[in-house]
Amino acid sequence: MDAVTPYLILSGILFSMGLIGALTRRTAILVFLSVELMLNAANLALVAFAQAWGDLIAQSAVFIVMTLAAAEVAIGLAIIVTIFRKRVSTNVDTLAELKG
Amino acid sequence: MTFIFMTFALMAILGGCLTILARNAVHAALGLVGCLISVAGLYVTLNAHFLAAVQVIVYAGAIMVLFLFVIMLLNAARPVTEENPVPFVTEIAGVAACLVIFAMVVIMNSFKAPAIPEAADRLQNGAPGPIGEALFTKFLLPFEAVSILLLVAVVGSVALVKRPEQQQEDLPEGELVGTFEGERQEVKA
Repeated sequence: MDAVTPYLILSGILFSMGLIGALTRRTAILVFLSVELMLNAANLALVAFAQAWGDLIAQSAVFIVMTLAAAEVAIGLAIIVTIFRKRVSTNVDTLAELKG
Repeated sequence: MTFIFMTFALMAILGGCLTILARNAVHAALGLVGCLISVAGLYVTLNAHFLAAVQVIVYAGAIMVLFLFVIMLLNAARPVTEENPVPFVTEIAGVAACLVIFAMVVIMNSFKAPAIPEAADRLQNGAPGPIGEALFTKFLLPFEAVSILLLVAVVGSVALVKRPEQQQEDLPEGELVGTFEGERQEVKA
């Protein structure tokens, strides 16, 4: 077992937990929180790879991912606030107009 | 596997469990904060000191504060109680997570990290200088694209949250707060 393998296993566990959360939570904000958990697991794997290869490029990529997460949160929360103003609820089940 | 790794890993998993299981949205957000801070500790053990600092400041600090603000603003702390319209959603999610874990195990068994003896030295403890150099040389185009993306996100979120102008005119006169008196009189005249 390499030194970075435990980190990759932890990253997989965190990603799966985020996946479960994103699929089962019903409030839009909690779905967003689970997506953040998945992004974080991916970041952890990237940093572990940076350690294995001794390359700083992977660590730089993590910065880009963090910025993307910040932008996603800004837009996503604005959308949630707008939806909440219209319907007084953020339950994702009631927002199924775009289905199929 | 060192003691430090085990401690931070357990804390991260506990935080993640709290995030996906808590009934109260504020508790879920605080669990995610704990998870993010534990992951920052893991970054330190992986020779990424600057990244750990940024994780705590930007992720656990700024982004999660934004989350908490919106949770409290929308009063979304109370859980959704109605019946779930999707049948067996928890089971489906469990199966999907098991598939992901299975794929991870398969990849893990075939993955072999290269034994580079000077790998830790080349990272230079993840200091800001070398990372900045990588960002401004090999990652220059993504860096600039991301700055434009952030600008678009800021403008977009302001445009989304802004109340439509019509709504302000509909308000009764007594509630018009923050508009200039002189301007209103001009409009009337």
